[in-house]
Amino acid sequence: MGKFNKGKTRSVPALSTASLPDIIFMLLFFFMVATTMKEVDMQVEIVKPTATQAEVLENKDAVDFIYIGFPTDADEGTEPRIQLDDQLALDYTQVGPWKLTKQRDGRTAFDIVTSLKVHEDVGMRIVSNVKEELRNIDAVKINYSADKR
Amino acid sequence: MAARKLEEINAGSMADIAFLLLIFFLVTTTMEVDAGISRNLPLKRELDPNTPIPVIHDRDILVIMANSRDELLVEGEFMMIEDLEEKVRDFYLVNANGQENDIKMPAYKYITGGVIQEEMAKLKAAMDAAPENQKSFYQEDITKWEKRKTTFQTIGAYSEISNSALIQLKNQANTSYGLYIQVQDILKKVVNDLRNEKSEELGWGEYKKLDPDDPDDQEKIEMLQVLVPERIIEAKIEQ
Repeated sequence: MGKFNKGKTRSVPALSTASLPDIIFMLLFFFMVATTMKEVDMQVEIVKPTATQAEVLENKDAVDFIYIGFPTDADEGTEPRIQLDDQLALDYTQVGPWKLTKQRDGRTAFDIVTSLKVHEDVGMRIVSNVKEELRNIDAVKINYSADKR
Repeated sequence: MAARKLEEINAGSMADIAFLLLIFFLVTTTMEVDAGISRNLPLKRELDPNTPIPVIHDRDILVIMANSRDELLVEGEFMMIEDLEEKVRDFYLVNANGQENDIKMPAYKYITGGVIQEEMAKLKAAMDAAPENQKSFYQEDITKWEKRKTTFQTIGAYSEISNSALIQLKNQANTSYGLYIQVQDILKKVVNDLRNEKSEELGWGEYKKLDPDDPDDQEKIEMLQVLVPERIIEAKIEQ
């Protein structure tokens, strides 16, 4: 029988890694674009309710968020509290003035949707007070935040 | 002087740097989508105390009450949350054929060109007689009738649920927000379903597929809102 490749040792040519950075950069750009960093530090714990009819909230720039839940800091007690931006509000009367400071780009409180992120076990009293406060300044567009079921 | 040859920069570590950045963004990414149920609160308006309060028949109101123990009372009777959807559907549909199938539920009215003309003439006369600060109130009603007119011009005479038919939500101080959202969700579902059925009946396709940014679709959406109105009022919470 004849012998093949006699006296030759074949070697696999080295794999070029020159395009590796390009691939990584591509992934990098994807995540950079898709990233939304958490804007606020949560000071209240929120378990959102679920709803079948929940619709995705578009144009997040034109939305203000109000968080209502149980404080994570035990010193703040166990009663539900309202969080506006990074701070816990003393009570619901701060909601109106806070919302008015949020007007921007010629948009009034009326134009900017307010999304209420509320823990499902919170009682309706505090929610109702916040809504009444918003109504007083004509900020009537509301979104009840809920996960899609 | 001897010309120095520039050495090539080693790009081998470029991948490492990019990796580092990549991992940073991977970790900080939250691809959470915000979803929720959108609602408009009723606008505050100051009414002239002399304006007569419109008479609303008992049959036109569906009272849904959620108490502090998270029990549901519909029209004063206990109800399980699973049965609420059917009840709300009934509220909308039971008299839809124009007959009095259930006299405790809202009646339907047949809207023809004549009715629209008559109502609009009445409102315009009332607006002319009203003081300046009350005119906007009538203007709102006229706008509503103008929408009915468009609907009539497009699909012909149609029957519509009594225009004072509304759903009233009552909560107590300790009613849980979770239950409240469940109720809101059911109300939204019924209205969306009914509008969808109407939309398909009229050959406009699925209600959800209608695009509010397209003027044609926008008009259809407005007509469906006339045909299946969503009127919810919330009572102040009881302490």
